[in-house]
Amino acid sequence: MVYSAKMLNDLSGDEDSVELEFESDSEFNDDEYGEGSDTSDELLYKNDKKKTDYLDSINQKESLDRKPLENGYENDGVPRLTYNCLTTDQIYDLVLLRLDRIQPIFDCPYGDIIVMLQKYGWSEERLLEDWTEFEDKVLISCGLKVAKQIGCSRGLQNHPDFLCHICCESNKRKSFRLECGHEYCLECYQHYIKDKLLEGKVITCMGCSLALKNCDIDAIAGENSSQVLMRSSIKGFIQKHSNHYKWCPFVDCNCVIQVNNISTLSEFPRFHLSPYVVCKNHHRFCFKCGLESHAPGDCQVAEVWVKMAQMESANLNWVLKNTKECPKCGVNIEKNGGCNHMTCQSCDYEFCWICELCWKGHGGGYYECTRFKKDENNGAPETKNSLRKYTFYYKLFSEHENSAKLDWALGLAVEQKVKALQENIGLSWIETQFLPESIRALIEGRTTLKWSFPVAFYSDPSHNLTKIFVDNQALLVGAVESLSQLLQVKEPQDIINRKLEFFNKAKFVESRNKALSECGRDLLCKGICIARTT
Amino acid sequence: MSLKRITKELNDLGRDPPTSCSAGPVGDDLYHWQASIMGPPDSPYAGGVFFLSIHFPTDYPFKPPKISFTTKIYHPNINANGNICLDILKDQWSPALTISKVLLSICSLLTDANPDDPLVPEIAHIYKTDRAKYEATAKEWTKKYAV
Repeated sequence: MVYSAKMLNDLSGDEDSVELEFESDSEFNDDEYGEGSDTSDELLYKNDKKKTDYLDSINQKESLDRKPLENGYENDGVPRLTYNCLTTDQIYDLVLLRLDRIQPIFDCPYGDIIVMLQKYGWSEERLLEDWTEFEDKVLISCGLKVAKQIGCSRGLQNHPDFLCHICCESNKRKSFRLECGHEYCLECYQHYIKDKLLEGKVITCMGCSLALKNCDIDAIAGENSSQVLMRSSIKGFIQKHSNHYKWCPFVDCNCVIQVNNISTLSEFPRFHLSPYVVCKNHHRFCFKCGLESHAPGDCQVAEVWVKMAQMESANLNWVLKNTKECPKCGVNIEKNGGCNHMTCQSCDYEFCWICELCWKGHGGGYYECTRFKKDENNGAPETKNSLRKYTFYYKLFSEHENSAKLDWALGLAVEQKVKALQENIGLSWIETQFLPESIRALIEGRTTLKWSFPVAFYSDPSHNLTKIFVDNQALLVGAVESLSQLLQVKEPQDIINRKLEFFNKAKFVESRNKALSECGRDLLCKGICIARTT
Repeated sequence: MSLKRITKELNDLGRDPPTSCSAGPVGDDLYHWQASIMGPPDSPYAGGVFFLSIHFPTDYPFKPPKISFTTKIYHPNINANGNICLDILKDQWSPALTISKVLLSICSLLTDANPDDPLVPEIAHIYKTDRAKYEATAKEWTKKYAV
């Protein structure tokens, strides 16, 4: 690990060291990927060698795909992100490694240095700067030393009868106090600390800003309590370094992605590409905007679409619930009272609100329609109504969103199938990998489909390329549905027999997925698809 | 445990009441109090009496009390529902603080608003750009709602 202490003496004006924070990217990443060395990977995953579920196998495949890069670019100049997927504990270990280097400067326990770093917003630079000049002042401002000794000792105290000002109970035998002289009973301190351990912020005396040290916390709340606090403090570290680290946005996923070559990030928009990362639980998301994978759209398309969906959904729901379109001209009509004999104000067409057919057939006296509603294709002309167009795409988008959720459930079922195959038929792990790979292809295909609708919505419909895009969409829909159907097969022997079919269909989805993504990117690059708020 | 502490605070308030504030239970429920604050003389709220409602959580004093104004007041850190934006009522709460100390803090918030961390940005904007207008409106509201 070469990345650590270099910055202490290397303050030269190179671009990356301007914003020297906890880890400057230049040292860390280029070593790892440029020279193809795997040392840091090994270190990061040392606690995590289990490869049991299907998700891990996928990740393994992805890492095999990763080729050594030069300066984070592929041969064709397209930027590529290098990153690690870590847990907070792994980040904590990295921070500790880092502290190993600077600890001799401070000559105090790790816990105290972490307290100071938290006070300094995890900026080692600023802390070291202040430390060399006014060591004492830093200690006092961080609550690690009292400004004026008043002769009070720190630690647990025994009393025959102690009155605690927090709970207002007397007859307490055990209490705790710091050098500031504020003393409270042990039970109150335990209650106070218990709530704060998971917050990960510095815990201070209840009466002033003097900090509790790790040994105090362990003495009050029990062994290893300070460890819980220290590990929680990493949340603050991640927040302060949000340029390099991002939480996986998927529900209940605790993975953190650490990007090594963040300078590459700014290159992506030029290519209408997005910096996608995949966490250990196989959640693919965009490191820039934090949304799930939104190819073929870029961040701009995704952002405008999501904003529009938020704004429009309330409107849309109201319109869908309370209005009907005139069967002739397609204008939206709200019925706010009166009988079912409607006359469209825009085209004067008279129709029945219930069956949406021409009023003529109803005769004079009826106000209650008993006609059975016919199929919808009875000649409403194609309307240019943008709301209608949006509704059309939004429905498709949300349908595929729902299907994608079901596919995740299917993925979990597949995991069970794989286990059954291994146990019942005695197949090896590697022989069953076609199943998780199929589900991966399915989910990725589905996500691409979903996000292809916003691209289609914002594209110029008359352009030839848009037509090709729509054709590509249809092909991917066919491929995805066919694979999805195949994945419903339950009989283990049947699955094995159709292995080749799985393989072919998954490959087909992958190639269609790639084609649609490329086609969408083409639309964006050529300015045929322009996402803007209306 | 919290009951003993709340009783103690009630007794202390009775024995040594802070200037310009008062507080006590509404009915039999010791977890629900009402408090009043006299508008500080050096503020546009002078002459007004402002009522607040206080709810103690069951794990008081480890969690802060919930305090809100029931009298309407024009202030950058207090919104139309009477909610108060004050750090010691949120993340800066400490079990060593008491209702009496919190009420005094609210008094000083009335004298010195904190427009850089506003709850009502519109009032904060007027506070920063047109102080006279802010004071006039605050006075008017005091007259209308708190006298």
